[in-house]
This record gives sequence, C-alpha cells and structure tokens, in this order.
Amino acid sequence: MRTLRQYLQALLNAKKLLAYTFLLCFFLWVTTPFLMILLKSFGRNWFGKLWFPPEFTLDWYKWAITVTNVPEVLRNTLVIAGIAVTISTLIAIPTGWALGRRQIPGKEVIMSTILLPRMIPPIAYALGVAQIFYRLHLIDTHIGVAIAHVAICAPYAILVLSSTFEGLDERVLEAASVCGANNLRTFFHVTLPLVMPGILSSIIFTFTTSYNEFTLTLMTYGPKTITLPVRTYLAVGEGYWEVTSALSMILIIPSLFVLFMIQRQVQPEKLVGGFKGV
Amino acid sequence: MSDWMIELVDITKRYGNIVANDHVTLRIRRGELMTLLGPSGCGKTTALRCITGQNIPDEGRVFIDGKDVTDVPTHRRELGMVFQNFALFPHMTVFENVEFPLMIRRMDKSERAKLVRDALKLVRLEGYEKHYPRQLSGGQQQRVGLARALVYRPKVLLLDEPLSNLDAKLREEMRFEIKDLQQRLGITAVYVTHDQEEALALSDRVAVMNKGCVQQVGTPAEIYDHPATKFVADFIGLSDFIPAKVVAVEPERVVLDVQGERIAAPPSESVSPGLDVLLFIRPNDVRLRAAEGDRQPNEIAGVIAKSTYLGDKFDYRVDVHGVEVRVQTHGAERFDNGQAVYVYLPHERCRIILESLVCPVR
Repeated sequence: MRTLRQYLQALLNAKKLLAYTFLLCFFLWVTTPFLMILLKSFGRNWFGKLWFPPEFTLDWYKWAITVTNVPEVLRNTLVIAGIAVTISTLIAIPTGWALGRRQIPGKEVIMSTILLPRMIPPIAYALGVAQIFYRLHLIDTHIGVAIAHVAICAPYAILVLSSTFEGLDERVLEAASVCGANNLRTFFHVTLPLVMPGILSSIIFTFTTSYNEFTLTLMTYGPKTITLPVRTYLAVGEGYWEVTSALSMILIIPSLFVLFMIQRQVQPEKLVGGFKGV
Repeated sequence: MSDWMIELVDITKRYGNIVANDHVTLRIRRGELMTLLGPSGCGKTTALRCITGQNIPDEGRVFIDGKDVTDVPTHRRELGMVFQNFALFPHMTVFENVEFPLMIRRMDKSERAKLVRDALKLVRLEGYEKHYPRQLSGGQQQRVGLARALVYRPKVLLLDEPLSNLDAKLREEMRFEIKDLQQRLGITAVYVTHDQEEALALSDRVAVMNKGCVQQVGTPAEIYDHPATKFVADFIGLSDFIPAKVVAVEPERVVLDVQGERIAAPPSESVSPGLDVLLFIRPNDVRLRAAEGDRQPNEIAGVIAKSTYLGDKFDYRVDVHGVEVRVQTHGAERFDNGQAVYVYLPHERCRIILESLVCPVR
C-alpha cells in the first residue's frame, strides 16, 4: 500500500516537474528575444559569439532619439493611434450596441464582413488601400494613416463591445428605473459603470493594434507620418543594430504599460453578471 | 381616499397579433397582497409591467393611489420591485445597492445610511454591507433585492416570481418571510407567480389568469373551493371533470344527468335544463365503497380501472360508464383492479362548470 502511494506521489511530482519545465521553456522562449534586444540596446563592443556585452552605455538611446528623431516619430505614432482609437470607438459603440442587443436579420453575415479586413493578408489589403489613398491625397497624412488603421482596429472594438453590450442585463436597467432613476441617471450610475471595463479594454486593444501596426502604415506613410514600427524597420535597413534595438525598446515601453493597465483596470468578473443561480 | 391602491381598468395590450392582456380589469386593495397566478404566457407579467410602466397599455387606464399613472414613466411611479433574477447592480456593494433609490432621490447622506441600515436589518443582512452581490448566495441576493425595494417605503411592492430562482427549501422559508414583512409594513403588494402552492400560501387574494384574461379573483379558499372556470379548477389542485346534462333546476339543487344516472349538485348561476355542463369535484372529496346493496343518492356505479399506492393515500381511476373518474382515498379499505364499486359524489362538494366560459371577469 505504502509503495503504491509513494509511486503515485513520485508520479505526481514528476508531473509537476514536467509542468514547471514546460512553463520555464515557454517563459524563456517568450522573453529571450526581448532580453537580447535589451542587452543590445545598452551594450557596447558586443560582437562575435560573446553571450554578454562587455560594457554598458546609454549612447544608443541618445543616438536613437537624435538621429532618428524619436520625439517626432513618437508623436506621429501617438497622434495616429489616437485618431484611430477615437474613430474605431465611435464606430464600434453604436455597431456593437446594435449587434449585441438588437435582433438583426443576417447578423452573422454583418459580423463576418466586419471581420474581413482581419482575415485577408494585410499586405494585399494595404495595397488596395494605398491605391485609393493616392487618388484621395490621403497618403502621408495623419488622418489617412489612421483611417487605414481603423479598418483593422474597428473589428476588434466591435467584437469586444458587442459582447460587452450583449452581456448587459436589461432587467438591471429596469431595476434602476423602478428605483426612480430616469434614463440619464440610469445611464451614468448603472449602464456606464457596467460597460466601462468593456469600452476600456476595447480602447486598449485598438490602441495597441494601431501603435504596433506595420504593414498598413508602410503602404500609406510618408516623410511627415513615420511611425515607430516603420522607423525601426528603416533603422534595420540602415544597419545600426544597436540603435535599432534602442528604438525597439522605446517601442515596447508603451505596450508594457498597456499590459499593466489591463491587469489593473479591466477585471472581467466586474463586467457583467457574476450572479449565482442564474 | 379610495379603497383601491392599484386599479387596472379594462387594459388591453397587444404584441403584434398576440393579445397579451385582453380587457383585464383588476383592483387591489390597500395593504393587501394580491397574487397574479397563471401559466407562462398567461399575461400576468404583462399586467405587472403595466403597473410598473414598462408597458404602456394599448387601451385602458392604470391608477395608483387614485391617480391616473397610465402616461407616467416608470421612474416617477414610486414603486418597489423584486425581480426573478434579483437584478442587483453587480458593480455596487450591498450597501450601495440598497442606498441607490435614496441616492437617486438626493436624500441627505446620514439619513440614507440610517435608512439603509434599517432596511438591511429588516431582511436580516446586517454585516454584509461591503459585500458584492456575486459574493452572496441566491437567498441573500434576493434579500438585498427586497431591502432595495423597501428602503424608501414605496406605496406598492411588486414581486415578479421572486422565489423561482431559489431551491425548494429556501423558497418555502422566504415565502413566509415575504408575507411576514408585507404584513408588518402593511404595504400593498402584487406578487406574480406560476406556482399555485405559493399563491395559496401567500395571498390575501388571488387573480388567476389565462390567455390574457382574468379567470377569477378571490381568496385562496374561494379559488380552491369554487373555481369559476375549468381552467382555474384544473390549474389549482387535482380535478375531476364529468360531462353532464342539466335535467332540472330547483331552488335547493340542480339535478344533473351523468351517463344516465341522476346526480344532485348545489344551485348554480346561469344554468337551465338541457344545458351541457361539467360536473367538477376534487378527487379527494369522492368516496368509494364496494358495490353491495342499494345505491344511495349521488352514488353511481363504476369499475376500478387502475389503482396506485401513493404512501399516504391510494389513487384510483374509476371507469364510470366510459368516463374516467379519479379518486384519492385515505381509508384503509383497498379496492382491486376490475372490482365493481359505488362512487359517491357528495352533494355539497359538487360544482357545476360551464366549459364555454373562458373569460368570465371583464
């Protein structure tokens, strides 16, 4: 009996060990590239087969900021992301409301049409966008690049918001009005707080999508609208690996910040529901 | 001041081709608990929503406390309501949920806190102020719902199947708690349910509804003992319906012909000789005895078709000249399948029901 238990215990431990090993591998697989870029962006005289840079410096960041004009590029990126997020959210709120809460004939067809720009290869889609934008003089304008981004940002927003609104319980809103709240107060005290996490996560997703977007920007940007991903790509072409790494780090920081925000702000269990027995 | 707290006068509400409420008239007294009872789709929820203002009736008027509120929006009707799915605000704590109606009414903060504490004490939920609804059990959530509905002392408390999401034991417990609260506060309450047992246990009066019509309004005893229609009789408790023809109408009794036998029933309105009616009786009012000797008045001959042992009673299906009569007996005497028996229908327990009567309360 005892040997059996020990055997099972060992098996269980082995299972645990296996799980942890797997987790560690996964962790390394995800983080090592970041680590390489991080070291590269701070290291000096790091050549050949050395695993660790011999000296550290902040020079590459200074270079990146002055030579590649980071403030301007970052501003472009943020302005474009800002416009893209605003337009996407403005489109997605009514669309998501209609798709989530109304009976609409052909809902599935509408939904897959909305998701189409995400399904086809971005480069093919971007080519078509570029052709239209040349004719409309939208190439190399913030609004133009942002509109191109909306095509892939809005589907995310609509997807997130329609399920947020779908989960909003009509009877909770009715309860508010029976309690004496008029439409405006119901909206501010009940509806808005309940859908806010959904809207926030939609904004975060669309922001990161636009912020990281490369293909669509590549086909629509110009000298005045270079964004960080495109600038990083160009820096690779210029051959300064250290500067490129520094740029990549600058590119990563806001993404990490957003990830942190998601962890803090968006608590899905707070979204809607959480009732027992319903 | 009128006697009626709520009056629905000749309400008709249609959804497309479906008539959800067909000329419904209901009057609810001050301080009474009235139940709207009926199967799903009978229009009881539609009627309730006409009281809350979530439905605007196509025809008819709604009065609360003598005032015509037909066109008054929900939030200005001063109601308290308890929902089937609790409908608590998931982003607010228990305290904030109960405080909500007071906050909306811009009441003073310290006064609010006092009233919320009182309301939570009323439903025995002190100490749960900082919990979120999702942290509570179903019964506790419904108590929060009750506290939220009662906190600002509304004129009317509406309960929309408040117990159907709870398990059976808790349901029975909460039933008495609600009744007790309602009586202590003396508040007028409208209770919607499809559970006849709940309705009989709770109500001062019951309105039985079917197919958008009010079938009967009365105390639980009236509804049970004197059902006005076949539907009411069938919906509440077990029933026997025996086809019969009126033979004679006398001042003291009505004589019926049941498969060639004479049965006497108490006098009934709107019957005349020659009319086809249903003789209604509860299966546990019918008596059986072995077919020996002479038959007494109101006894008819039958044969046991099926017998079932139910622990505390026997359930028999008796074949009376081709008509099945269900009988439940508590006596020690047992009857076997195929045995000839005399079925006694006590005169005072017999009721005459007109099958054609579908929407009697107009």
